[in-house]
Order: sequence, then C-alpha cells, then structure tokens
Amino acid sequence: MPKIISCYTCRFRNMALWSLILLFSGSMMAEENVVAVVHYGTPVTTPISRIRLSSIFSMRLTTWSDGSAIKVFVLPDDNPLNSTFCKQILKLFPHQLRYAWDRLVYSGTGQAPVILSSTQEMENKIANTPGAIGYLPKEKKDDNVAILLVE
Amino acid sequence: MLFKQIPPHHYKYRLFRPIPIAHIFTVNPRTIARKLGLIFLLSFSLNTNCLSFELFDSVQIHGFASQTMFLTSGNNMFGPSISNPSFDFTELGINGSWSPMPNLLLSMQIISRRAGNGYDGSPNVDFGLLDYSHFFEDDFKIGFRAGRIRIPYGLYNDTRDVAFTRPSILLPQSVYFEGTRDFTISADGLLIYAELLKPWGNLTLELFGGYNRSNELDAKFSFLSLPGNLEPNPGFSGRLNYESYDASLRFALSGGYIPMDYKSSSSLIVGPTGTLIPTPTKGKLTFTPMLLSSQYNTDKWTFTSEYSPFFINTSGLNTVVNPFADSNNFAQSYYFQVAYRFAPKWELMTRYDAMYTNSHDQNGKESELKSQYLINQLIKNTTNLSSLEAYNLFQFASPAYSHFAKTLTVGLRYDISPMMMIRAEYNYINGTAWLPTQGNPIPGETKQYWDMFGLQVSIRF
Repeated sequence: MPKIISCYTCRFRNMALWSLILLFSGSMMAEENVVAVVHYGTPVTTPISRIRLSSIFSMRLTTWSDGSAIKVFVLPDDNPLNSTFCKQILKLFPHQLRYAWDRLVYSGTGQAPVILSSTQEMENKIANTPGAIGYLPKEKKDDNVAILLVE
Repeated sequence: MLFKQIPPHHYKYRLFRPIPIAHIFTVNPRTIARKLGLIFLLSFSLNTNCLSFELFDSVQIHGFASQTMFLTSGNNMFGPSISNPSFDFTELGINGSWSPMPNLLLSMQIISRRAGNGYDGSPNVDFGLLDYSHFFEDDFKIGFRAGRIRIPYGLYNDTRDVAFTRPSILLPQSVYFEGTRDFTISADGLLIYAELLKPWGNLTLELFGGYNRSNELDAKFSFLSLPGNLEPNPGFSGRLNYESYDASLRFALSGGYIPMDYKSSSSLIVGPTGTLIPTPTKGKLTFTPMLLSSQYNTDKWTFTSEYSPFFINTSGLNTVVNPFADSNNFAQSYYFQVAYRFAPKWELMTRYDAMYTNSHDQNGKESELKSQYLINQLIKNTTNLSSLEAYNLFQFASPAYSHFAKTLTVGLRYDISPMMMIRAEYNYINGTAWLPTQGNPIPGETKQYWDMFGLQVSIRF
C-alpha cells in the first residue's frame, strides 16, 4: 500500500493556483466594474440597448423619450475609466468616439459631452443635473444616481 | 532681376496653381502679436488637462491652434523653406454653439489661416448655421442645416483645419488639394440629411444645394491663374456614408457639381516682358469632384484609402496665359495610408499619395510640349525681345513633372495630453502638381525630386 504523504507542496500548489485564478478573475471583474449611470428619475428604462447608449455617448441622440434634453458627462480621454467604458460597455474604440465628437464640434453640427476631471465630480454632476448620463465605477454607486444596465 | 518689376499676376501660367501675390516677408506687429498669442495659448494648455468651456447651459466654446514648421529641399512650401525653416503656416479657429432646444443647434466658427503668402491670416466665417433634426423611433434621424455649411466631402473635409483630426501635418494633397481648397471647404445654402442607426451600422445621407464661396475669391488667387472674378451659380454636393456599429469599417461616396462664371473687366494683361497678352473677359468653369473613401480601424491600426476622379470643364478660358485649361480635363488622385498606435499617446503613420492633373497625359509630356509651343509662339510674336528676356520667358513653360506628384510620407505623432499634440513628418516627393505657386512662381526653377520635413504643434479645446 503506498504511503500517503500529506502533500504540502501539492496544497501550496493548489492554493497558488486558486489565488491566481481569484486574482485574475478579480482583475477581470475590475475591468467590467464600470456602469452607465443616469440622474435619478430620468425617463429611460433599464436595460437600455447598446446601440441607443452609444448613440447617446456619440452625441447623435440628444433627447430622452419625453423630449427632454440629454446631458452627457465623460472623463478625460486619458482616464483609464473612459477607455474601459468605451471598450467594455459601448464596445467602441475610444479614439473613434473622440473622432465622432470632433467631427460634430469642428463642423458645427453638434456639441461635445462635458468633460469632468474626477469620478467624484461625475457623481455630483449626475446626482444634481436632470437628464444627466455618465459612467462610474460600480462600487461608487450613490443613492442619487441610477444604474443603467445594457442589454 | 528682370522679374522683380513684373506685376505678380503675370506668373499665371499653369492650370491647378494658385497665383503668387507680392513676395512680402516682412515682420509686422500683427504677426508678432499673433505669435505671442499662440505661445500663450500653448503654455496655457500645458498646465491644464481640460479646457472646454460651457459658458452656461447649452452654450459651448471650442477652438484649435496649430503652428507648423517646414524645411524643404528644391521647392518652397508655405514661405521660403529651402534650407532654412519656414514658420509661415499657422491655423487658428474658434467656434461657439448654442442649443436652445435639444433638437436645435446654432453654431459659428471663425478661422484665421496663414499659409505662406497665399493666406494672410485674416479671419473669416468658416461656418455659421442652424441645424434642426428630428428622431423617429430612436433609430432614424432626419434634419436640415441652413446657412454657411461645411461641405460633406470624403473622410476629412468636415474638420480639415483641425490638425488633431488630420492623419498627418497636411492632409493628403492629392485629394485635399490646396489649390481648390476655397471651392470645397464650405458653402452657403441648405443641406438636408437622414441618418439610420441600426445594429448593422450607421447610414448617413447628406445633400447640399447652394452657392460656393468662390465669389469671395479673385480668380487669380485660385488655381485658375486669371485676373478676373469667379461668380458662383447654384451647385450641388452630397455624401453617402456607412459606418459599422463600432466604427471599425467606414465607406463613403461623395460628389459635387460646382458651376461658376468667370468675368473680367480687362481684356489684356501685361505679360512677363511687358508684352500685352489678350485674356478672356467671359468664360465658364465647372468642377465635378468625386471621392470614394474607405477606412478600416482596429484598436491599434487604421487603414485608409481614398480615390478621387475630378472633372474640370471650362469654356472660353483657353489662353496663352492659361494654356492648360482644356475644355474637358480629367484629373485623378488616390492615396493609401496606414496608422499604427504602437503605444498609448503615440502614433506612427505612412502614406503613398499620387496625383495626375490630366489622366490622359500621366507623365505630363504632352502638356509640356503644348506649353513650350505656346510660349515659343508668344516669344515669336513679341518684337524687341532680348535673348535674356526670351530665356526668362521660356522658364514659364510648365515642365512635365508639374502635371503629377507622387508623395511618400512617414510621420510620428505624440499626444502630450488630450488637448495638445506634436508631430514630426518626412515627405519624399516626385513632381510638383500640388506645390503651391506662391513660393515657387517660376515653373522652370522648380525641382522634380524634393524633400519636405515638417514639425507641428497643435492644441484644441
């Protein structure tokens, strides 16, 4: 009968493997941990279609279903949350979204979103501006903003 | 020098060339003030990350500023740039927009452009318009724009003066040619548009009717090289654009029909050697530009290509001063371009760009012979011409290589911040078809093979 050795090396190996998996999934989670948020009471139903959400962020769609104005808030181009939101939620390349805004602004056919400097400022603006839409890290959810899920 | 005394409008010898104005490279206080203003703006932009203004609800102010340096061999580009760098290329713009209702937008942009001595930097209204649109079912939008409108043309015309949106220091000159810039940039009239937003992509149709801005131009400052004025007749242009949902694929088909009347009060102009040369007092000019555009984007790569067949029809404008105004001219140009964003904030680009002013004579030999023949006729018909004067006059014959241009470009861009960008670029050029005549008035003194190195710093907000 073979002697069963309580294999510490194996256990360590398993632990190492599991922690690696956890770490990896953790970082994956962190990447998806950005959500679209709207001002509480905005006339929009969740989940929203991705195409409609991207029409809003590319500044093509300018009104909510009741005809009130959409106010779009974003973070600077070089903020990591901006590119995460573009890639994970909108499924767009950040440079293409910027190009869409530039085309509107410098040909006089539309307006750009308002660029804010921090997630804290984003939270305050969304909470205090009727018709506002933006994005926040998931854990930052405030009672004054509503999460908008994507279909 | 014989040519120093000659009025500048005599250098008007070539199709597709803007005309030189007086060669004045003096520094005036306005220029200095402008430069200081630019430096101020640039230093300001270094210290801040975000500078777009929202004055009050629904009003926005945006702008851009770029300064470019060119260093060339052989030919001048925007100022005297051979051997010594020229800083004569400055672009400034500011725009405001107001959206009193979500579907209504009023906007205006003023630009100032200094490009060698072809553009002196005096401000002009680039666009000033009212845009109204209506959404049906959230995926179909229909609307109109009225006023002075940017002409929808290709991938880059909408934001042509904003260096940030350009793939290189200058747009590919074959397709976005300097000599016809004023005819294609913006126009006064009405544009209707429809936009379909579907999971398979966005489809946009824009149709414009109205008057182009050529009435603000002297024909002598355009490529036409004649002393009179161009008066626009109603023209049309349009663009059909497809973009996949994630903007990875983009196709566009653009076209235009721009008719103009040429009128001049003088029937004679003074030739290079004091000879009186007859010029037409009346004529017609019609542009029919077309453009096929395609682009493929990934996260790191952008592949772009555009092809432009360009018809120019003239009647009554064939003279010795303008010997290449064929009654039906068919020009062709195209480019292939690759951009690679190899690291965040960095972009490397390369492009091959070709232009033929007469596609039936791609190597320019026929046009060269025709030009030499006409100049020889002029020399024969002129009495009391010294051999030096005859030689100088002959320098105005247009060489074969002025009827094509093939350009190879390599460039590097670095985005210091989302608002500020610098780039460096090298061009190797065979031919002078798109070379502005302002800095190169005598065709016989231009060089066929030349290099152009450029540095650009640009901000936007």
